[in-house]
Amino acid sequence: MNGVAGKQPTGGATALGRFMENLQAVPRRFAETMFRTGKPQSDRTRSTFVFGNVFLHLHPVRIHRWSLRWSTTWGLGIAAVSCFFVLVVTGVLLMFYYKPYPDVAYLSIKDIHFVVPTGRFIRNIHRWSGNLMVVVVLLHMARVFYTAAYRSPREFNWVMGMGLLVTTLGLSFTGYLLPWDQLAYWAITIGANIAQSPREVTDALGITEWFDVGGLQKLILLGSEEVGEEALIRFYLFHVMILPLILIALMTVHFWRIRKDGGLARPADADSRLGPPAAGVYPVFTEAPQKTYSLAAIVKGRTPAVGSGPEQTVPSMPHLMFGEAAVFMLTIVLSVVFAILIDAPLKEVANPAVPENPAKAPWYFLGLQELVSHSAFMGGIGIPMIVLIGLGLIPYLDREIAGTGVWFGGPGGRPLVVRSTVFGLAAVLAVEAFVIRFGWIRQWWPGVPQMVITLLNPGTVLTVFYAAYSVWSLKKYDSTRAGALALFTCFICGFVVLTVIGTYFRGPNWDFYWWPSQWPGH
Amino acid sequence: MTVEARKIEAARSRLEPEAMARRDFLGLTAWWSAAVALLFGFLGAMRLPKAAVLPSPSRKFKVALPPSLAAGQAYVPTGRSVALYKEGSQVYAISTICTHLGCVVKATDSGFDCPCHGSKFGRDGSVLKGPAPKGLPWREVKHLGGDNFLVDEGKTVATGTTVSV
Amino acid sequence: MKANKHLLLWSSLGTLAVLLWAAVQENFFRDWRLIQREIQARLPSAQADAFAIQLRQIVSRQVGTTDRCVSCHVGMTPGESGIESNRLYGRHADVVHDPASFGCTVCHGGQGRATDTADAHGAIPHWPERMLAKEYLFAGCGGCHTHLSVPNLAELEKGRARFEQADCLACHKVDGRGGTLRPGGAGGQEGPDLSRVGAYGYKVDWYELHLQQKKKATSGPWLSAFGELLESERTAMDEYLHSRVGAPGLLEAKGLFHTFGCRGCHKVGGVGGDDGPDLTAVGNKDPGQLNFAQVAGERTLANWLKQHFRSPASVVPGSVMPELGLTERQIDQLTLYVFSLRRRSYPEALWPKDRIRAERFGTREFATDGATLYGTFCAACHGPKGEGMRYPGFAAFPAIGNPDFLRLASDDFLREQIKRGRPGRRMPAWGAQEGGLKDGEIGRLVTYVRGLGGVAYEGDSRPRRWAQGDPAEGQRLYGEACASCHGERGEGKEGPALNNPVFLDLATDSYLFKTVQNGRAGTSMAPFGAGSSVRSTLTDAEISTVVVFIRSWEGKK
Repeated sequence: MNGVAGKQPTGGATALGRFMENLQAVPRRFAETMFRTGKPQSDRTRSTFVFGNVFLHLHPVRIHRWSLRWSTTWGLGIAAVSCFFVLVVTGVLLMFYYKPYPDVAYLSIKDIHFVVPTGRFIRNIHRWSGNLMVVVVLLHMARVFYTAAYRSPREFNWVMGMGLLVTTLGLSFTGYLLPWDQLAYWAITIGANIAQSPREVTDALGITEWFDVGGLQKLILLGSEEVGEEALIRFYLFHVMILPLILIALMTVHFWRIRKDGGLARPADADSRLGPPAAGVYPVFTEAPQKTYSLAAIVKGRTPAVGSGPEQTVPSMPHLMFGEAAVFMLTIVLSVVFAILIDAPLKEVANPAVPENPAKAPWYFLGLQELVSHSAFMGGIGIPMIVLIGLGLIPYLDREIAGTGVWFGGPGGRPLVVRSTVFGLAAVLAVEAFVIRFGWIRQWWPGVPQMVITLLNPGTVLTVFYAAYSVWSLKKYDSTRAGALALFTCFICGFVVLTVIGTYFRGPNWDFYWWPSQWPGH
Repeated sequence: MTVEARKIEAARSRLEPEAMARRDFLGLTAWWSAAVALLFGFLGAMRLPKAAVLPSPSRKFKVALPPSLAAGQAYVPTGRSVALYKEGSQVYAISTICTHLGCVVKATDSGFDCPCHGSKFGRDGSVLKGPAPKGLPWREVKHLGGDNFLVDEGKTVATGTTVSV
Repeated sequence: MKANKHLLLWSSLGTLAVLLWAAVQENFFRDWRLIQREIQARLPSAQADAFAIQLRQIVSRQVGTTDRCVSCHVGMTPGESGIESNRLYGRHADVVHDPASFGCTVCHGGQGRATDTADAHGAIPHWPERMLAKEYLFAGCGGCHTHLSVPNLAELEKGRARFEQADCLACHKVDGRGGTLRPGGAGGQEGPDLSRVGAYGYKVDWYELHLQQKKKATSGPWLSAFGELLESERTAMDEYLHSRVGAPGLLEAKGLFHTFGCRGCHKVGGVGGDDGPDLTAVGNKDPGQLNFAQVAGERTLANWLKQHFRSPASVVPGSVMPELGLTERQIDQLTLYVFSLRRRSYPEALWPKDRIRAERFGTREFATDGATLYGTFCAACHGPKGEGMRYPGFAAFPAIGNPDFLRLASDDFLREQIKRGRPGRRMPAWGAQEGGLKDGEIGRLVTYVRGLGGVAYEGDSRPRRWAQGDPAEGQRLYGEACASCHGERGEGKEGPALNNPVFLDLATDSYLFKTVQNGRAGTSMAPFGAGSSVRSTLTDAEISTVVVFIRSWEGKK
């Protein structure tokens, strides 16, 4: 019996008296009804508080100590959510002033920068938080991969994570156009033409006339043949409505599956690795459980929690709450520090007649742009699709058990990762150095058919190198996980190196320069 | 069967009922019709984002070539993405949109250069270097008399097609 | 958990600190706030109390500007006075276009929406349109007054000289000068400011009225400063006063532009040659697209333009624009003129009169007397006096003021030559072309060109074609005597091209014959009729065969 129902009206025989009494009790009762089960002060009331609250009930009531270790996750998932939260808040605020129409959009950003109270700061936070989110999501993926946390039963959640990655990149990319400056305009022109790049293949096959999937993609994206007012309103729609809704839907599934898949992955011997519980942490179920869960009766099998002693768990509240809040505030402090130190870029207003030189996509796409500078289709669509499909297949191909929940776990382990890093860096640097020094097929034989270049370009060569190395590792260690470790590490190296080259070493005409100061005046 | 056993049986049947009847014709039809209706609606809705008529301005335009235009010198009408050339009595037009990723190429003495990914094209628009998958397309030109021409940016003609003045 | 508590504490405190700092920055340290507080401190206490520290702006729907310049230059906000007689924070000087309705950037350039000093003045990366520097201020007029009509610069200077010699500045103020004497003695009324009489007009009988005043006067400036003026002096003064429309700097710069023959190669507003880029909107050039490798000083459009005028090829590789050898002052003026070529789009209802006249009725924006036309279209190549320019790196341009030439060239020759140009050479055809000259203008040009040589046409009665001889012999002689300058096939080298179809069509045999015979004094063309130590004499018959040979190119390429 809780307090609310147990109280009987004491005084006030008249209706008016009872009314006055109820009126006086409103604040107290409001608090009671809000918490339902009394103030969350004891472990028990905290538990009921967590699962009785719509926002908190995504959390387990108790959480394993392994999951709370910083090195388990580095808080990256929470950081990504925090970024999203910051982005939603700042984004909605920016919508008060932003006008999605060419040139007017640019002026409205100028207004946000110069006269909207806190506008500059809010826009900066939005910009840097968006960048931070991309970084964090990528790191989160790497974390999950290296701790082998994608394995059964978490395969599907890994796929959801890929969806979240793609949606995040889409959000960032669509937001890129909105300021309508030169930077935005030409980045989006390139992006839209990457969407059109399947034409490179359909042209080579001579079937574009009947099957123009590239043209269709571009048309849907831009609503016109070039980037203009239609494209701007579409990108706006994607940025503020469609993609956030998709992201929220995917996030919901992602979080829910974390719970349903048994919380964070941890090694089978996590309890012994952790050692005895610290002072103040006590087991909940000291004797055999007396209580049966009626819900469990219709579910086949055992829930993940059953059978493994819960001695190493601690109440989520406050242990997990502190961790989450800490990461949340850490994310915010990073965003605001960036925001106050560096203004979000805004170049001159978009000018469709004068391309930026060099015209660069957002930084996280510059690795792709480096590949795109050889073959638009392979760099923009072919290889990203191969990478995404490859990543998505990992949990379904790696059915091993060893090393789950451990950093660089599985056959090969840390030495393999180190070796793969060396190989991955060497391969990408060698290919890039070759291309920068000697050029590529078209320079040697200008008449070569496009199909040859589409199939044989630095991007595909690199992909083949990495794939071959991965197969070799798989054979050597007789383990799919080893192959995956090799491939993923190579992928990360390739991504980082290509992105760095695309960002810092490519100048006008996408020529190679050691420093931007060597760029010729354009 | 004892009463106990019957109770257990009843409990089990509640927990694990038989598989659904396959011939629940009504139910299956209902589900499938709902699915088909929604799918059809979805397909219809997906027609919306693809514009039937593009908002871009007409791709055909008239242009007067300056009489002083030297042979081999490009004339790019303002706001258009096509370069016109006059070689003797022959006039032709080459698109200035890079076939790689749609940047605007710049006419140079040796042909065309793209600022975005370094594609280079020859005087006739053929690819010399870089990632462009194909040469710059030639556009249709019609002679209207005098120095006036009608150019159709939307219509590609075979490389080498010129119109005589 | 303890680590997390620490992390939470410190990141929260950090966030709080940053937010506080942002709040302080936003509410105390924005440029405009600092400036407004300083202004408030300098105001007399009564005004300081009423002075609100807030963003101010002028929104002009008419010209489509939102200018927040007045957030710092508060005195220029409509209805405010700021700091009395302070150039930056006081009232705006009294100008034709009230800032209250036209805003600031329409004349001054810069970034009207900005509220930080550097951004507003445009001295930041990625803002193409910097504020116009003080020395180029009059360029701002050009944005709307695209067709400001300019007189002949020499006439203008003559008028100004007359005006000043006649001591008009004693009582009248013009462009901020003069007006020191009070005609009615001390405390009397000042003579009217004439800086803008060109726009508002003045009484036709001003001279008679002045004379009457002088007769009435017994002492003072009416008697001492005003004297009788000749008709010609008054005409020159009128010319000067007509040009006083409130933009003296632009007017002079534009006048100067029309003395260097720039339009011979460049079009402005559809009038001019095609050899160089169209300059109609060249003031909008984006410095971000320019090569600053050879430009000293800050990367501004002004510095680039100046370097460009000094040495065009150093900033635009392959430029065919010659080094004009300008003085720094001329470079400054031309830079100002280029800045004025920036064409804003604004509703037609606001068009100034001269623009309507130019665009609707085809009135020229420059004077159309022979001298101005020559200065506008010809002087760059043919020289200010028709002496033919020699620029380093370019073949010499023909000296069309040469008396030897003008003696042989009829007015028709000159007229047709101007109309038809020299196809394939740098001389454009000025007749048929859209940006070309009207017949009357060509007529005045011909008269002017003839005046440059000061000689009349000495025609002969022979038919256009009379020369006879053996072309083969002519070719041999040509090869010996002419080919080194005019080229084996008459394609022109140091000397002009002779195989040019228009030239061959216009030049009579007598023209060719006499030119060969007598040469052209002052050019490399020697008189072949009289021998010298390095060259044998050509007989009349020999010259005829050469003429016949030259004729053989007619109709060929």
